[in-house]
Amino acid sequence: MKFNKYLLFMIIATFAVVLAACGKDGDPGESDKNKASAQGAELEGSVAIDGSGTVYPLMARLAEEYMVNEQENVSVEVSRAGTSAGFKKFLVENGTDFNNASRQIKDEEAAEADKLGIEVKELKVALDGLTFVINKENDWATEMTPEQLVSIFLADSPVEKWSDINPDWPDEKINAMGPNENHGTYEFFYESILDKQDMDSSVNLQQEYSTLVNLVSKDKNGIAFFGYGYYVNNQDKMNAVAVDFGNGPVEPALDTIAEDGAYADFTRPVFTYLNVNQAKENPQVKDFAMYVMNNINKFAGETGFAPIPESEVKENVSFLDGL
Amino acid sequence: MNQLSEKQHMRRTKRRLFLSRFSKSIFMLSAFFGLFFLAVLLVKVVTEGIGSVNFDFLTGKLSTQPERAGIMGAILGTFWLMLVVAPVTMFVGVGTAIYLEMYAKKGRLVSFIQTNISNLAGVPSIVYGILGLTVFVRVLDLGNIVLAGGLTMSLLILPIVIVASQEAIRSIPFFLSEAAYGLGATKWQTIQRIILPAALPGILTGAILSLSRAIGETAPLVVIGIPALLIPFPGSIMDRFTVLPMQIYYWTLDASLVAEYANLAAATIIVLLVALFILNSTAIIIRNKFQRVF
Repeated sequence: MKFNKYLLFMIIATFAVVLAACGKDGDPGESDKNKASAQGAELEGSVAIDGSGTVYPLMARLAEEYMVNEQENVSVEVSRAGTSAGFKKFLVENGTDFNNASRQIKDEEAAEADKLGIEVKELKVALDGLTFVINKENDWATEMTPEQLVSIFLADSPVEKWSDINPDWPDEKINAMGPNENHGTYEFFYESILDKQDMDSSVNLQQEYSTLVNLVSKDKNGIAFFGYGYYVNNQDKMNAVAVDFGNGPVEPALDTIAEDGAYADFTRPVFTYLNVNQAKENPQVKDFAMYVMNNINKFAGETGFAPIPESEVKENVSFLDGL
Repeated sequence: MNQLSEKQHMRRTKRRLFLSRFSKSIFMLSAFFGLFFLAVLLVKVVTEGIGSVNFDFLTGKLSTQPERAGIMGAILGTFWLMLVVAPVTMFVGVGTAIYLEMYAKKGRLVSFIQTNISNLAGVPSIVYGILGLTVFVRVLDLGNIVLAGGLTMSLLILPIVIVASQEAIRSIPFFLSEAAYGLGATKWQTIQRIILPAALPGILTGAILSLSRAIGETAPLVVIGIPALLIPFPGSIMDRFTVLPMQIYYWTLDASLVAEYANLAAATIIVLLVALFILNSTAIIIRNKFQRVF
C-alpha cells in the first residue's frame, strides 16, 4: 500500500539521520572541550560565559573579535542571566568557564567554590559608573547630591514626592526603579550606595535593562539606576543626573568614571571570574582569558566602560602566564 | 383576540429588523477584531524588518555589530531542533494513539491516561522547560544541546499530537477494520494496511500544526539556557544552538543598547512567519489531497 510505505519510509529516514548525527559526535558535553590542541597553535573547543548583563556587551564584543580574528574554531558562548544567577551556573560541576560580575564574589559564593574544589581567579575588566537616569521632560532633578539620591530609594526616609527633596520641585510622586536581585548592579547599589539599609518596597525592580529604559523614557516622574553603558546608548531617550559629590555637579562620562575621576564615588569595578581548573585543562579557556586581558582596554570605551590601569592588566597577564 | 394596530405592528417590525442588523454587525466586528490586529502586526513588522531581510542577513553569522549580524545559525538551529522533535513526536504520539484506540481495553487505566494527556496539553510551556532542564540538561547531563531542547519540545507538543491522532483513528468507519478482520487479517495487519493509511492525513495535519507551535516556542528554551551570543553554526543534534524565536527575544532586549536591533528582530519575525506559513500550508495541502470520504 502506498500510504504506509511512505509513512514507514519517513519514520525510518528521520531516525536514521538522527542516529547518524548521534553516532558521529559520541559523548557531547566533554568531547568538544577536550579536542583542543596544544597552546599557541590552532585551538578548538568551547568557552562558556554567563553572568552580568552589564558586562555582557563588553565580553560579547571581545568574544566575537576573538572568534573572528584569533581562533575561528573556538566557540565562545556568552549569556547574561545576571551576576548572581550566573554564579549559580558557575559554581557547579562542569559549570561555566567564566562568570561576568558587576560586583565582587560574595563570601558564601567563595566558600561554595572551595567546597567544590573550584579555584576561582578574579579578573578586573573595566570600570563602570552607576548612572541615575531621568525622563527627558524632567527639568528639575538634573543635579542632585548623593544623599538626595539615596533618600529616594531608602525605605527609612520620608521622601515620596519630588517636593520632599526640594520644595521648588513638583508635588508629584517619584517612581523609583532599578534592576532586581539577580543583578550585581542591584547589590552594588544596596551594599555600597545604600550602605545595606533597606530599599523602599515601592521601588520597581526589573529583570531586564531594556524594560527600565522603556519605563524611564515614558514616565516623567521616573528615576532609575544602572550601568553607564545602558545610558550612553539611550541618550536620546533619557538624561543622566549630574551628581554633586561636594565639588559641583559631575555628569557621568568616560573620563569622569575613570580611576580617580570626579565621579569615582559612584564608580565600581566590574569583573569576570575565571574557573582556573578549566583554564589549566582546556587551552582554549586560558587562551581566551589571555586575549581578554590583552585587549580589554581597547574595547572598554566603545561599550561604555572606563579602562583599568595597565599595571592591573599586567598583573593578571602574568598570573595567566603561570598556569 | 386583540388585533395589533398598524402602528404597533410597524414598531415591532422595526425593532426586530434593528436587532437583526445589530447582531450581524456585532458578530462581524468580532470577526474583524483578530484580523485587524493581525494586520497591525504584519504592517509594523514588515515596515520595520523588510529592509534588513537580504542575502547577507539570511546566510550570515550572529554578531554583536547589528550591521554584520546574520540569522543562518538560528535557521539551522531550528532545522536541527525539528529533526529531533518530528520523529520523536510522530513515533511516540502515533504509538500512544494506536495503543489507546486499538489495543487498550476501555476501562479505568485508559481513562486515567486519557485524562492525564488532556491535562498535560494545558500545562504552561515554561513548566516543560523546567522539566527539560532537570531531566535532560542536568540528570542526563546532555547540556544545552539540540537533543535536550528537542526532547523538551517533544514533550510539550506530544499531547496535541496524541489527541489529533486519536481523533483521526477514531474517525475511520468501523466497517473497514471489520472487513479486514473478516478476511483473516491480524490486528497489526489491519492497523498497518487499513487504519494508518486512512488516518494518515489527519495525523499529519495534527503533527505539522503542532510542529509549527514548537518552532515558535521560546519559554522552554529560555529555561534550558540558550546563549545570547553563539556564533558557530550547529552541525548536528549534539551541538549547542539557538533558534529563531530566541533570537527575536534577545534582539528585542538588545534594542535598548543599540536601536538597530529592533529592525533585526522584526526581520527575524518575517523569516519565522514565512517558515510557519510554509508549514501550515503543507498541512492544508496534505489534508485536502489525501482526505477520503467514506
